[in-house]
Amino acid sequence: MKEQKHIKRRFILSAVVAVILILIAIFSHQLAPHDPYQTNAALIRKAPSMEYLFGTDNLGRCVFSRVLYGAKTTIFATFFLVAISFVIGTIAGMICGYYGGIADNILMRLADLMLAFPQMVVAIAVAGILGGGLMGAMIALGITMWTSFARLARSHTLSIKKAPYITASKLAGKGGAYILCVHVLPNILEPVLISALTQIGTTMIGISGLSFLGLGVVAPEAEWGSMISEARAYIQIAPWAVLYPAAATIITIVVFNYLGDAMMEYRNRH
Amino acid sequence: MKKQIAIRVIELILLLIVLSLLTFALMYIAPGDPAEKRLSSQGVAVTREVLQAERERMGLLRPFFVRYGEWFVGILHGDFGISFKDDLPVAPKLWNGLQNTIVLAMGSLLLSLLVSVPVGIFSAVKRNSMFDHIARILSFVGNSLPNFLISVLLMYFFCIQLDAFPIIATGSLQGLILPTLSLAIPMASRFTRQIRTEVATQMDEDYVVGLRLKGVKEHYILLRNVFHNSIGHIFTIVALQIGTLMGGSVVIETIFRWPGIGKLVMDSITARDYPVIMGFVLIMGTIYVGINLISDIVNRIIDPRVEW
Amino acid sequence: MTETLLNLSDVSLSYDGTPVVEHVNLQIVPGEILCIVGESGSGKTSLLRGICDAGEVQVDGGEISFHNDQIPCCTSNDRRKALGCGIGIIMQNPSGTFNPLRRFDVQIREMMQSHGMSYQKEDVIGLFEQMGLTNGEEILTSRPYEMSGGMNQRIAIASTMLLEPKLLLCDEPTSALDVTSAGLVVELLCRYRKKYNVGILMVTHNLGIAYQMADTIGIMRSGRMVEYGAAREIFHHPKEEYTKQLLHDVPKLAGYRNE
Repeated sequence: MKEQKHIKRRFILSAVVAVILILIAIFSHQLAPHDPYQTNAALIRKAPSMEYLFGTDNLGRCVFSRVLYGAKTTIFATFFLVAISFVIGTIAGMICGYYGGIADNILMRLADLMLAFPQMVVAIAVAGILGGGLMGAMIALGITMWTSFARLARSHTLSIKKAPYITASKLAGKGGAYILCVHVLPNILEPVLISALTQIGTTMIGISGLSFLGLGVVAPEAEWGSMISEARAYIQIAPWAVLYPAAATIITIVVFNYLGDAMMEYRNRH
Repeated sequence: MKKQIAIRVIELILLLIVLSLLTFALMYIAPGDPAEKRLSSQGVAVTREVLQAERERMGLLRPFFVRYGEWFVGILHGDFGISFKDDLPVAPKLWNGLQNTIVLAMGSLLLSLLVSVPVGIFSAVKRNSMFDHIARILSFVGNSLPNFLISVLLMYFFCIQLDAFPIIATGSLQGLILPTLSLAIPMASRFTRQIRTEVATQMDEDYVVGLRLKGVKEHYILLRNVFHNSIGHIFTIVALQIGTLMGGSVVIETIFRWPGIGKLVMDSITARDYPVIMGFVLIMGTIYVGINLISDIVNRIIDPRVEW
Repeated sequence: MTETLLNLSDVSLSYDGTPVVEHVNLQIVPGEILCIVGESGSGKTSLLRGICDAGEVQVDGGEISFHNDQIPCCTSNDRRKALGCGIGIIMQNPSGTFNPLRRFDVQIREMMQSHGMSYQKEDVIGLFEQMGLTNGEEILTSRPYEMSGGMNQRIAIASTMLLEPKLLLCDEPTSALDVTSAGLVVELLCRYRKKYNVGILMVTHNLGIAYQMADTIGIMRSGRMVEYGAAREIFHHPKEEYTKQLLHDVPKLAGYRNE
């Protein structure tokens, strides 16, 4: 029983830290001491100081402000992408699982096709072909992401489909859409939501990875991956321009991964 | 079982055909003009006439299915076409790149397995020991680090601070160390976690207690029974990781300038070199699906109760 | 005086901090079949686990000795050697004895090698035949998951005997089986007792089987031995109220007649 308490504590702790990070992202505009796009030729590559907490980058921009704005970009883009994939995937999965038939067959074959290829490779190819930009990167990652949600939603829908209360509903004359929304959805929501949360970390890695390669966010937008890529060239003279965004990336991903893990453990013991 | 394998192989071929068709279609409608890219990279002034002539020469003006058909027939003969970028045949480029990537991939896979298998097994056997706790923390952190970040950090510490390794990966063994590490660290972390889970599950099974009660030696139980039952799953884990490995190698090869197929494809995407991209998609698709098929077969051999 | 195989003297056991067995005394001599009967939760399984020192069960008091050697005190290697070779254990779940995915012959060889015995295929097939398993050749090349529960249990018992144990501890070996298989298992055990003069301690909730097999019976309830003595005596002239009630509740189909 002591272990139960530990697990609950870990879950709550990581949730709190995650919320703090999200709040930082939301209020990044207010928290940033300087304009992250403001270049200043006189202040290039200055070491961290009271004025510029994380120093300045190659164009004289405040790294601290850029890291904060980057938090907004990365975290929001990640959440948005996961949310959209979640919605599309869940709807597709529910429909496939409930109605079956040709639509199910085709959609699942399509999903197999998507999964037949390593996610990052597809993302790079698609992002490259679409010409870069944050939207392109998100579409590139989303193309493969919805499939895991779809499969999960479908398998859970399949197992619920035979439940008595569903049959009762059908006999009462309720339409398919009604049953899906009122009966199926609330029951499959939990496992699929948890899957979504555990994917946040990986998605974040994907987005910053693509930006790092130049296939995601375009300059001068602040995003951690692209910041690291830009600053890589002069890492010897201004390591802070790389290390601070790197630290922010690591911390954020660790927090969300930990949250995902803690949630899985919490649910398993529950 | 042979019939099922045959069915899977046919499915594989169909899948690849559809995949290539989709990729071809995607590139057909994608923005960016290969002819224009080519001309501008050669420093030629791009006027409308020159552009049209170049498009004609590169065969870009022919209808979709003609182009696709020609490419498809070529593939059947092992001819992957001519690169848009420099008019050289694509197949040797792909082959060279593939060889280099395989070197990198195999090296990092081997390193990862060498570390993760013993650590994962030991962690599972001695659950909640100090070793286990440390291993879990390390593998958790390793799993959360994007590989490009690892390579940047490794570069910083080893190349710049310590001046121990070259920054650009030449063909030398020394040059391979950092890229291999960058790939191996996240992979080893993921493997360790999954192997630990699988072995732990096996050790909780009834038969382990049963064997112990019969007085079977502990290392027989572990190495001959638990390991035997887990190996199928480990194969699956590794097979799935090959996909991430291929994706990861693109990033790593670009950073360290390792002349592998990943770097080749990155350059081709920027240059809109479609024949190379198509060849890449086909080869990687085949490898990935093929490896998954092999792992399914191995799983079936070890535990015939598994769904096909 | 015949040598005692197993002796429990005022033994108390606890599981996870909760006492499950209290002040139990019992003895088994070679050739004797002792059946411990009780309802679920009576502590009979914990008793068995405590005897083979299965780990989760703690000995709070008393002595458990096998051949006059105290069991929980020996080193883990000694215990390992005792398990299987001196004491054979048969579990309730037939799939819990063998690794479901590996061949029987490989596993049996492994088991014998763990005890320093050499594996001779003909001997194994011979023993199987003696125990009523006539398709020894086929069994050895199969895997447990391919066999039925009843078959698995019989193979488990037969292979346990390969190690020539002096004492067999059985934890409800027939509970998971259908009636025919259960009958064959009982027959197997009795045959073994007759041939090798082993002692058998069987835990069961099935009074019918106990009636068929037991020389001695112990009735357990809530961790205590309520009644203990010769089987015929207890079945025909039960002394304790609980015993009487237990016997009364047995459906007539089990072959028992209430006199």
